[in-house]
Amino acid sequence: MRPILKAVSAIGLGGALMIGACNFEITNPNAPTEIGNNASPQRISGAMNGLLIATRGDVPNWILKAAILGREGYRIDPADPRFVSELITATNLDPSNGAFGGGQWLGEYNAIRSGYNVLNVVGTAQLTSEQREGVIGFTQTLQAYNFMLILFAHTEDSIPIDVNRPLSAPLAPFVTNDQAWQHVVSLLDSGATHLQGAGSAFSFSLPAGFASFNTPATFVQLNRALEARADLYRASQFSCATCYDDALTALSGSFVDTTQSLDLGAYFDFSANSGDVTNGLSQQVTSSINLVHPSLRDSLAVNGGSDARYSAKVAARGSQLCDPLAATRCSDLSWIRYPTPSSPIPLIRNEELILIRAEANNNKTARDAAAAAADINFIRVNSGGYAANAGLSGATQQAVQDEIMIQRKYSLLYEGLRWVDMRRTGRLNQLTIDVPATDHIFSTLPVNSFEVQARP
Amino acid sequence: MGNRSLFGAVSVLLAFGAGTRDAWAQARVVSGKVTSAQTNQPINGATVSVVGTPIVAVTDDKGGYSLGAPEGAITVLVRSVGFKRRQVAVAGDQGSADVALDQDIFNLEAVVVTGQATAVERRNLANAVATIAPEQLTRAPTSTIESALQGKIPGALVQMNSGAPGGGGQISLRGVSTINGSVDPLIVVDGLVISNDAIGSNLNAVTAASGGGNASNQDNPVNRIADLNPADIANVEVLKGASAAAIYGSQAANGVIIITTKRGSPGRPRFTLTQRLGQFRVANKLGQRRFTDSADAVSAFGHASIVGPICRGGCPFYDFEQEIYGEQNLSFETDGSVSGGTDQTSYFISGLVKRDGGIARNTGFEKQSLRANIDQLLGTRFHLSVSTQLIHDRSDRGISNNDNTSTSTYLVLPFTPSFFNLEPVNGAYPFNPFPGNGSNPIQTFALLKNAEDVWRVLGTTRLRYDALTTNSHHLEFALSGGLDYFEQQNDILSPPSLNFEPADGQPGTVVLGKASEQRLNLLGSTIYTFTPTSGSYSATTSAGFQYQNNGLNTTNAVGRTILDGQQNINQASTIVINQNQTPVKSVGLYAQEEILALDQRLLFTLGVRADRSSVNGDTRKYYLFPKGSASYRFVTPFSGLDELKVRGAIGQTGNPPIFGQKFTPEGTGTIGGLFGTLAGGNAGSVGIKPERQTEIEGGFDATLGHEFATLSFTYYDKTITDLLLVARVAPSTGRANEIINGGKLRNLGQEVAFSVSPVRRQDFTTILRFTFSRNRSKVIELPVPAFNTGGFGTSLGAFRIETGKSATQIVGTEGVVGNSEPDFLASGSGDLTWKRWSLGFLFDWKKGGDIINLTQLLYDAGSNSPDQIPAGNQRITDWAVNGKTKTYVQDGSYLKLREVSLTYDLPASVTSHLFGGTHYARVNVSGRNLIRITPYKGLDPEVSNFGNQAIARDIDVAPFPPSRSFFFSIDLGF
Repeated sequence: MRPILKAVSAIGLGGALMIGACNFEITNPNAPTEIGNNASPQRISGAMNGLLIATRGDVPNWILKAAILGREGYRIDPADPRFVSELITATNLDPSNGAFGGGQWLGEYNAIRSGYNVLNVVGTAQLTSEQREGVIGFTQTLQAYNFMLILFAHTEDSIPIDVNRPLSAPLAPFVTNDQAWQHVVSLLDSGATHLQGAGSAFSFSLPAGFASFNTPATFVQLNRALEARADLYRASQFSCATCYDDALTALSGSFVDTTQSLDLGAYFDFSANSGDVTNGLSQQVTSSINLVHPSLRDSLAVNGGSDARYSAKVAARGSQLCDPLAATRCSDLSWIRYPTPSSPIPLIRNEELILIRAEANNNKTARDAAAAAADINFIRVNSGGYAANAGLSGATQQAVQDEIMIQRKYSLLYEGLRWVDMRRTGRLNQLTIDVPATDHIFSTLPVNSFEVQARP
Repeated sequence: MGNRSLFGAVSVLLAFGAGTRDAWAQARVVSGKVTSAQTNQPINGATVSVVGTPIVAVTDDKGGYSLGAPEGAITVLVRSVGFKRRQVAVAGDQGSADVALDQDIFNLEAVVVTGQATAVERRNLANAVATIAPEQLTRAPTSTIESALQGKIPGALVQMNSGAPGGGGQISLRGVSTINGSVDPLIVVDGLVISNDAIGSNLNAVTAASGGGNASNQDNPVNRIADLNPADIANVEVLKGASAAAIYGSQAANGVIIITTKRGSPGRPRFTLTQRLGQFRVANKLGQRRFTDSADAVSAFGHASIVGPICRGGCPFYDFEQEIYGEQNLSFETDGSVSGGTDQTSYFISGLVKRDGGIARNTGFEKQSLRANIDQLLGTRFHLSVSTQLIHDRSDRGISNNDNTSTSTYLVLPFTPSFFNLEPVNGAYPFNPFPGNGSNPIQTFALLKNAEDVWRVLGTTRLRYDALTTNSHHLEFALSGGLDYFEQQNDILSPPSLNFEPADGQPGTVVLGKASEQRLNLLGSTIYTFTPTSGSYSATTSAGFQYQNNGLNTTNAVGRTILDGQQNINQASTIVINQNQTPVKSVGLYAQEEILALDQRLLFTLGVRADRSSVNGDTRKYYLFPKGSASYRFVTPFSGLDELKVRGAIGQTGNPPIFGQKFTPEGTGTIGGLFGTLAGGNAGSVGIKPERQTEIEGGFDATLGHEFATLSFTYYDKTITDLLLVARVAPSTGRANEIINGGKLRNLGQEVAFSVSPVRRQDFTTILRFTFSRNRSKVIELPVPAFNTGGFGTSLGAFRIETGKSATQIVGTEGVVGNSEPDFLASGSGDLTWKRWSLGFLFDWKKGGDIINLTQLLYDAGSNSPDQIPAGNQRITDWAVNGKTKTYVQDGSYLKLREVSLTYDLPASVTSHLFGGTHYARVNVSGRNLIRITPYKGLDPEVSNFGNQAIARDIDVAPFPPSRSFFFSIDLGF
């Protein structure tokens, strides 16, 4: 028996030692963990680029969806009829699917969360105090932009804004739409203040799309440009008369400049490189399914039948593509606004700023018709490629506003602004309804259903 | 009798070709011959033992045995698999004893695994364990083992995911066991836990079925059980629920399939050779709308300038499905084996070469396998077993399933009118204008390459030490190590000459996927059996450990914009690469006590397993999974009832968290060439733990009328708690969801199995088997709000997990529209033998169970269904305008003739002249899935667009059509 007992104890002991000594802690080899204290400059740099990537994520979907909702175009996909059935013919927008009615929510809040992940640890990061200010200013500006995207899509509802909380904490309360816009403005102002203390350079590089804004001094101009856009929106949506003046003040600190290219601005880059994404809005013209609404061609007649902006952004498809379920919903026009998979998408451009200035001057309490007319005519000639309208400075405010709407329509084609413009100026009823029996014009997306369900 | 029979039972399992001649005085030699009572053929490999001693011998290929016996009268016990045991008295002066054994038609005396290393006779078994004998596995030729298991396990739903060659199927035992956890049962081959992972090829790069750029479950992957060779298998046992599988612990929540491969036995080498030739043919087509003139066609498809000329004078009709899936390639299979050995060594070597010809061009499946199983006695106490297998297989599966790029066949055909000729003209494939990108499925199958090539090695080495063998005590130790290693390479080439390739601005796509997986098992066990001299009971105590070190490493590179004729990924203009690793380590300890008492009528078992794993939040914690069971046999309680065994069992198993669920990974990406990290959308859980399944099972097994028939009934109640749930969190937190443990899911079911052998004469025997099972699942508790899972959104049919409802209910715009849970499953099989002829067949019947038929929706939306006017138009209007999702949620019942096989055994007068004398020669014709009877309007009611899923199976989007196969074969034995 004894040799057997020895054998048993030897195996048993060996087995127990082997098992007890096993270390089963395996870290995740596939992805990094959340940024923590004492972050290196590389880590911060990565987080800044990550914030851009997160922000960029939802932009193509927003542009496509806003184009459909604002009747800039359609997507007629034989394999996925939901772009018509959920965005045009549905009785109500379905808040449960992020690709459709429930969108412009998670992606933006995720970017805002990415921003807070950095802001919460930037105090201990290995940066100089000026570099720290640069990080904070950049982050707050982009967070404000994300809030703006959410608010562009959600108008009547309130949204949560105080979202810098751990998962286990109670959810951020909803605030009214107006309060949310004020938060956007205050975030931008705070960002601008930090940027002014950020010295002469950022601690991180920015991609090529931000080449004109890659120092604190120039990035502040981008911040002010976004402020101008926000102020203009508030001015018309909430009938805030002083907001037009705020817009003009913001514009004076921005990069608006009629001597510079109209395309001067900040852009989101795309590419087919490893880890990157391509611009999902690019398509082959002849086989395209993201189509241009024929009304855009029809309304060219107003200004002489041709428009350089239209010619640059729209092309004939070659054959007509019709909605299989509605024979009158057809188009033979295709977008070439983003022609290749690496075409960038603008965040905000000089052309828009000029038009904001025109609208602010037209509608502010102390109306400046001449300045408005000058900017409008500048756009007509240099962007539209046709003659100026000499009588503009003497026209009524309403007539000038109509002209601005037309100019914005073509200048800012397929940039996610048309639906917003028509809504904030109360013109949604002017959007074309192709099939009166089934089509609806929506003024807002509903609140994402998961947000509602999480708050019983 | 108790102790001696148990000795016999243990010896059969443990003593492979062992002959012990040490501890007992052997005064004389007893020899003889063992034959089959029915056929008078000698039985090779029967175990002959002297009752009351450890003396054991094994018969050779002539049925002869010889053993050294003590003085005086002895009793000799003879046992063999498939035969009933027999005890023969041998007088003190008798030197020879010939024994004839009766056939065990219902396999009542088989020995079934109950623990990691212990076994119990089926007549005592306290669980409903399904056993499948090798002849049942090879009744009809099969591509992969999943097809061979269909209809043979009561309570199991085994379904292939599509008709593509080379596998891809799901085995679901006893209903729904999880929502987000792993769905595969544990598969154990010769003690080694092997991988059944399905690694996607990333056909997604061409189809864009699931956005992103990564391999998706819509790539129609093959799960790796497809590599096994059914001809190697000696026995399959299926532990269906926690009460049986508890001893496998935290990975056994979906059941355990225990496969034992064939081993050699002493004697001169015996050869078998099987050669099969056959064909696969497409089994079902959907059809297309016929157009008589161009007016209808133009209003449906536009493109008047193209349609007009074609339909001038009437529209022609082309049967696209026949053109694409009408290939009739030759399929063949050659498998052979040799086995033999001496008293000390025995071997089994087998080889397989097969090729299944595909029903579409450039599709098919081929497999080559080589197995060597060796048993070697070292000295008198050590026994070494080695089992190794080397496999190479390759499947070419073409393109199918969902897409967003108009590339998959049944996403192009719904929008292509039947009068447009897709066939090539002078080598040029017509540009198909109707889906917009020119996609021509005939061209796609001709030029697209989608190949999956796998090399795999399975090896187990087991060393057993018989420490102590006396009349009352038996102690043994075993240590085994096993390795399952495979490398899978996926090559997809979508050349720029394909019509649809330029559509994304990057003509030409090439995908290179390389995955390697290793599973290393180390097992140790101790078994101690005690039988008091009174023989009133025997107690088996076993304990051991199981250590697993697994690692899966997948890399996938997608190259776009490549020249025609180039394949290497470095020739592409843009290359995107992904890598994913899942290293997992786990260890389990177990202990079990089995007591067989009361004249072998009462079996009582208690056991526990403790598991620890690196995927849990707390990697140091051991999770306990106990079990207990009991059974009692009533022997001939009244005439007509030979035996009635009542049994009850309870046990717990777990389902581990998927690797990574405890982490909160950051998202990563690149912009303008700069690398970035962003907040991840999925919050992990640092306290995550395995799901826990508790099963209570009870039933009875009865043998009736002098083994005329057997009847079993089982009732089970499975409750799963601590489900891994993805809780959607408020998106304003920046996260989409977090992983939590919670909730309760319950399955109640019944299984009935009935076998009868109504005719048993010398020249005519029949065995008929029927099984019936039912399972009802229900969500009892849910800590998160009801959520939809699977599918494409409510309007197209989604599965909804909701308290108080079935786990597989299907909801649509209007509410609940169906349920994919079958009403019941039934099967009927028979084996009839008349003189030299045998006929075998198997019917598989699934009643109920709804399928979301989106392929028909696509045809209706394209105005192209064969019944478009008026039925198709009505359907699409109901769905699109009236919001009736139910229109496309259809009954998926089916009755299939899975296997049918007719064999003729050539008479001895012929076989003795063949090849210098063969032992047997059989000629056979067989077929698989020859008949389908179903109300379902889609291609096949066995379908899953998303591959293996816990809940969201049965979604039909452009699958690969089903096929039927028939083979002619010759079996020779030397």
